[in-house]
This record gives sequence, structure tokens and C-alpha cells, in this order.
Amino acid sequence: MTEQAQIVSKVLVLDSDADCFDRIKAFCDTNGLIGLKVQPDNVMAVLRSNLDLGAILLSEKYADNAQGGTGLARKIHAVRPELPIFLRREMADSLDDIVQRDRLLFSAAYTIDTISKLQTSIEEFIFSRSYPNALVRGITEIAIPALESQFKAMKVEVEAPYLVRDRLIFGEIFTLIPLESSWCRGYMMLQTEEDALMHLVKAGRTFVDSKDAYDFRNLNGLLGEITNLIWGAIKNRYLSSVREDVYLSQVPIIINNLHRYISFGSDNPQLCFKYTISDANDASFRSLVIQQKFVFNLSWSPEDFSENVVSVDELVSSGELEFF
Amino acid sequence: MAQILVVDDSSTVRNEVGDFLQKNGLTVALAVDGRDGLVKLKADPGIKLIVCDVNMPNMDGLTMAEKVRSELNNSTVSIVMLTTENSPVMKERGKAAGIKGWIVKPFKGDAVLPSFKKLVGV
Repeated sequence: MTEQAQIVSKVLVLDSDADCFDRIKAFCDTNGLIGLKVQPDNVMAVLRSNLDLGAILLSEKYADNAQGGTGLARKIHAVRPELPIFLRREMADSLDDIVQRDRLLFSAAYTIDTISKLQTSIEEFIFSRSYPNALVRGITEIAIPALESQFKAMKVEVEAPYLVRDRLIFGEIFTLIPLESSWCRGYMMLQTEEDALMHLVKAGRTFVDSKDAYDFRNLNGLLGEITNLIWGAIKNRYLSSVREDVYLSQVPIIINNLHRYISFGSDNPQLCFKYTISDANDASFRSLVIQQKFVFNLSWSPEDFSENVVSVDELVSSGELEFF
Repeated sequence: MAQILVVDDSSTVRNEVGDFLQKNGLTVALAVDGRDGLVKLKADPGIKLIVCDVNMPNMDGLTMAEKVRSELNNSTVSIVMLTTENSPVMKERGKAAGIKGWIVKPFKGDAVLPSFKKLVGV
């Protein structure tokens, strides 16, 4: 048995009823959800930004929309079809009276008095996978020192891990590297903003010469090396070799640059970690955000998860020379 | 003439390791992968130590180490791997290729400088 890690997910709450909003917030608090409220005029702009959402809780009477929640749901579905929409209804927690075409927009319906029933849908559509606690904890234990080793005089902080269903790419530079093991197969991504990374290079906070900051290939290389450091340590600690006689399936990875969107061919949420790299002594110094995302789209058997055993003979600290 | 050849496809690592070694009085040549490393080694008989990554395009570091011994017939240059890899299988392959040692990244210059100096004979 593997212990499930405490992972959260952000949901957009589109509900104008103040009384209901408080009860929805209480539901979110007890179900690992972070409810985000947004002004009605800003909904579509927010959906196009990088909020890392897991779902949308929409009221059928949101903002007194003439078309009801269904009209807004159509617009949301057009730009973010991967996000499940849970519809709060006034009378009955059912979608039966909604025309078939519109019914498909929603993953579930609830009333404020039956909101607890939504828990099943939340587990189905957002928390559909459990992640071994040791893995989730270990990822940050590996990533933080790796980041610290590449940024001089900077501190690294990480938010609680979270799940997202939108597949938006954060920033302009991202790396993608396969994770192959007997218990999982998928990818790790690192995503960041070029301008913020360039700022750190120009300020001499990296091992890239500051005069080379304007060549984007050096910025790519820096994120590439960080990826390599983290990937190598994850591989050494958690990934066991895949049997050579096993057929290894693959699916196309689709990237739409216009929409900053990447699909791995599966509906599974991505496991995300957000690292902020900032100057420990100067709050005005521009910080850098790196998002680390995991998608285990090809194989996932957490019940077989285990840490690789290291013998005492192999206990040489990283960075030290082990003589043969 | 260089004393140490740093072979890594990452320009960040080449800068980091190369700059550190030069600041500490060692002369350094750089190569971007195993194939480039073999060319640079062949061209510079002064190289005493190769610090080499494992995972690189075109030619990986372990293959390069094997070719240094077999194709270049160079049995004197010391080879140290600097890599994120830590698998016993890979280390065994490295040992068989006659590499001298293994460093798991990230690079910590102060921890390895005395050994590097010893390997190049200063």
C-alpha cells in the first residue's frame, strides 16, 4: 500500500450568490480544492491565462446571464474543452432537463443542498489518481537543491503540489524528458518565462556568462541542464529499468503553439509543482517561476512504486569524486 | 595545449566547469559531445584528464571512453565521468573502459579540485 499525498487543485468558482459561495468555499476547503473567484467580465481572460485549473464550478444563474450558465459554459468549453464544468442548479441536481447538445458541456450537476454529492465527481474528474507520498515529497527534495545549484545567491520556494486539467504551457521555454520505469511511463516538463530567466543571467546569477544572455539558446541550455539534473536524480532514486522484452507503446504528443497547449493524448490531470526563485535579501529583485509538470500518460501502476535501494558502498555524495 | 578536456553537451556545464578550472590555474579545452571529444583529444597531446558527461547526442560519454582506449590507443589519459547517472551497471561499464572515477552532478568544484590537480600532475 502506498500512502496518498496531500495534493490540491484550483477550481474557478463562477457563482454570484454570496450565501452559496460561502458553502462552496467550505466544500472546497474540505475536498482539497482551492476556490478562485473572478469578476464576470474577466472570466474569458482568466481562462486564457495560466491559472492551472482543475475544474470550474458554475452557477446556472451566474451573473444574471440571459442565457443562464449554459451560455457561458458553451464559451468556456470552446476555449478550455479539457476543463470539467460542474453546474450548480436551483431546483434539482440533474442535467436531465437540459437539451442533449448542452448536457455534454457539463460533467455533473448539483444543488447547494446536495453539494456533498459532488465529491464523487471531483474524485472522478480531478483526483482520479493517487500519487505515492514518498514520490511527491521526493520530487521537491530533488528539485530544490538542483535549482539552488544553478542559481547563485537565490532562494528556492515551492508551493503545495497541485493537479491541473488545462494543458496550457507556462512561459516561452519548456523542456520535455521521458520517465521510463516498470511502474510508470510518461514525461516531466519544466516551463518558464524567457524574460525572467534572461534577467537572472544578465544579473550574473547563473553559470551562463552575462554577456551571453541575449542568445536564447543559452537560456534554453540553462533550463536543459536543470532538467537534466532533476531527471537524473529522479531516475536514480525512483525509476527501475523497463524489461527489454516488453512492448513499449507510444502516442503522439501534440503541441499547438497558437494556443500554448500540449496534449499527451490522455485526459489525466498533470501533477504540478511551482518553484519561485528569488533573492533572499532583496524583495525588489525580479523572481523567476519554474513550473514542473508530470504526466504519466503511457503507464501508471503506483502500487508497484518503490525507491531504488542504494548499497552502502554506493553512498557517495553528489559532487564528490568516487575513485575506481 | 590544455591539461583538461571538459566534454558536455550542456553549455551551462561547460561554462561552469571550465571557468572554475581556469580560475584555479588549469588550462581547459571544451567539447560538445563524445565525437567532438575524440577529435579534441587527438589534436591535443597535452590533455591529461577528461571530465566527461554520459548522456550526450551523437556519441555518449561511455562510448567515447571506450574509443579513447581502443581506437585512439590512449591508455594514459585519465577519464572522470561527471553525470546525473548513478547506476551500478553504467559504473561497471565505465570501469571496464578504464575510467578513473565518477562524479554525480551537480558539480562541486572545491570538492574535486585537489583530485583533478593530482590527476594532471600539478
